[in-house]
Amino acid sequence: MEIHRYEKLWFGAALVLIVGFIATVVYGAAGVGISMVDDDGGTIDPNNVTDHPKFEQTGLHEAEGDDADYEASVIARRFIFQGADPLEVPENSVITFYITSPDVVHGFKIVDTNANTMVIPGQVTEMTVEFDEPGEYGILCSEFCGAGHENMAGQLTVVPEEEWGGLGGDS
Amino acid sequence: MAVFAERYPSDAKVVRMALGSSFVALFLGGLMGLIQALHRTGYLRIIDDSTYYTVLTLHGVALVLLFTIFFLVGFFHWAVVDSLDRTSESTRFTQLWYALMSLGAAMSSVTILGGFVGEVDVSADVLYTFYTPLEAHPLFYAGLAMFLVGTWLAGVDWFRSWYNWKQSHGGERTPLRTFMVLTTMLMWYLATFGVAAAVLVFILPWTLGLVDTVNPLLTRTLFWFFGHPVVYFWLMPVYMLWYVILPKLAGGRLFSDPLARIVFVLFLILSVPTGIHHQYLDPGIAEGFKFLATSNTMFLLLPSLLTAFTVVASLEHGARQRGGTGYVGWLRALPWRKPAFTGMALAGLMFAAAGFSGMVNAGLNLNYLVHNTLWVPGHFHLTVGTAVALSFMASTYWFLPKITGREIFSRRLGLAQVLTWFFGMVLMSNAMHRAGVGGVPRRTADPTYEGVEFTSVLGNINELRLQIALGGVILSLSLVLFFTHLLLSWFDIGTSRQATADSIPPALSGPENAPKVLENLQLWSGIAIVLVLLTYVLPIAAIVSGNGWFGSVEHPAGMVEPIWLLALDIGRQHLAVMV
Amino acid sequence: MSQASEPADPEVEMEREIEHDEFDPIGTLVLIAIYFLIISALWIFMYFIEFLGRPTPMVV
Repeated sequence: MEIHRYEKLWFGAALVLIVGFIATVVYGAAGVGISMVDDDGGTIDPNNVTDHPKFEQTGLHEAEGDDADYEASVIARRFIFQGADPLEVPENSVITFYITSPDVVHGFKIVDTNANTMVIPGQVTEMTVEFDEPGEYGILCSEFCGAGHENMAGQLTVVPEEEWGGLGGDS
Repeated sequence: MAVFAERYPSDAKVVRMALGSSFVALFLGGLMGLIQALHRTGYLRIIDDSTYYTVLTLHGVALVLLFTIFFLVGFFHWAVVDSLDRTSESTRFTQLWYALMSLGAAMSSVTILGGFVGEVDVSADVLYTFYTPLEAHPLFYAGLAMFLVGTWLAGVDWFRSWYNWKQSHGGERTPLRTFMVLTTMLMWYLATFGVAAAVLVFILPWTLGLVDTVNPLLTRTLFWFFGHPVVYFWLMPVYMLWYVILPKLAGGRLFSDPLARIVFVLFLILSVPTGIHHQYLDPGIAEGFKFLATSNTMFLLLPSLLTAFTVVASLEHGARQRGGTGYVGWLRALPWRKPAFTGMALAGLMFAAAGFSGMVNAGLNLNYLVHNTLWVPGHFHLTVGTAVALSFMASTYWFLPKITGREIFSRRLGLAQVLTWFFGMVLMSNAMHRAGVGGVPRRTADPTYEGVEFTSVLGNINELRLQIALGGVILSLSLVLFFTHLLLSWFDIGTSRQATADSIPPALSGPENAPKVLENLQLWSGIAIVLVLLTYVLPIAAIVSGNGWFGSVEHPAGMVEPIWLLALDIGRQHLAVMV
Repeated sequence: MSQASEPADPEVEMEREIEHDEFDPIGTLVLIAIYFLIISALWIFMYFIEFLGRPTPMVV
């Protein structure tokens, strides 16, 4: 079988592209430390989500380990984000989100950031993000969840350090 | 030699019917697209926000499932009959698969249309991905299943023709077009296993009340097992058009027949074990499985990148035979006045752009940036919405005379149609990509939120909104031109010139140069199955060990429990008693 | 299968016939090299500027 030399050249270039793309995402994971949403959050009984230790209370609380500064528990349900409407966190803090749904599949996306994930009944989404820039960020449901989906939104407020009054404090 | 319609009248009739169904779906889906483009950009709202999702479901199902698949089964049927030079083994059987597909399509469509009528309790506002526990009327899923079975039987029809052809052509290479059809169908059988399992084992029994609960992550994973390779089901007939018809229209010959075969074998092997790249941001699936999907998907770029070279080289061959010169000057020597050529070439150009946005989608962690934003529909309006849809429409100008026996009405009108589609989609899809990077979500009736301002370095959001709406209007105009032209050409209204027969020139490097092993379809299917098992067994085992096969999600509260059609309800009770 | 001997397309005006071995697709190479450069640049822009410039889920 004969293959033209230009075609061989392009075959090589195509492999370089493919390997280059894979190398970039590996660098993102291993070099930059980007973590994919995965099975770390474990499963949950969707009919009794508040029985799960992470969802007895929604909103911000102290982190259990040293990995993050705070934990934020959010129940995404038609058509609200319980615990994130609004959610206030101090600037330069590392937040681990725990998100689940008692009804249908939802999306959870914080605008202007890469904090973007699916929320699936029966599963707990775990995602850790650091917020450096004070400001107000919209949170949207990014997956169709029924008539009313377009109104499903929450808010994240990153409070400047000097204004942060601590958990439950006034900021 | 006479044209196809005269040589194989009964086959041409089925091909015409399949194309007819396809274009009905295109009309319906296109109309929904216009309503959506104007609604979500806020320029014109003739429906409620809640009805938007009925419109969106119909747009998706009609265009990505019905329009594309009806067209391609018609085209494949022509390809097999024409390239093997034998009529189908049984006209009855051919009509049977077409009838099953049509009945299934009608069932699903009627169920979706029920969403527009408040008085009837039949609807399917679940979008074309039908993620559980969103729930449609059982007829929706049953229709989809019947439609699928129809496509399976179509494959049986073509394999049967090939098998019988081989009996009298021992030792000969399978003609390229038939080879392409067979590899595509093998991929399709493998891919549809996922959605068939999701619908028949889990979703239908759940909507009928035979089982109480469902596992949303499992049905979702099974959907994407099918949901990614389905794009190759649309694309592979387009590749056939680009490999076989486009070079000929350009006055050239396919550069390499063996390479075309290798590309189709690669698609058979690599199309299915990639679906998890639609689930990069799903909980419950370990990162390692996601990475595996990334590398499989990236390697799936290879056949497409090779195709880019082979097809462009075949066009260059045509251009140089027609007197073209220079490094890029030869492009001027291509037959840009032929609508079939221009449409397919522009579709190919748009597919090159789509290749880039697809690379971003596939890029594991990079997916955080674009997942479920308008970037994603921006991407697939270039792939299925242009590479596929524009190639199908443009090829119709070449293909229709083969199956009706009459020339098309007007080349100039055809040219205007393919150009308006191209310009409309340039506007719409580039704006969707840029808005997506700015964070604008997809799949919503109204992407405006109090206190949220989407900003993109790639453009002002209001300007992008206008481009999307304007693009949608231009695309609709293109459809009006297409249907006008179609009616004039099809029904002997505007044209009665007899079609002239033509042939497909042999490739520059012919099939005799292809390694014999390429014909070993069992081997390639075997490798494909092994790869699928390697990619899917462990993640599915993990999902099932977490929540069980049937999960624990009931029909969620707040979901209006539909009062099914009386007959169906009685049937369900009977079945439940029996179970 | 259609016969190769009859005209492939009666409407195509052919100036010369070029066989496989005398055809050098240099124009294709030029176009595809341009494509290679464009997507490489866009990839770098999307990954390193648009993506890594924002708060992102991290391993802790």
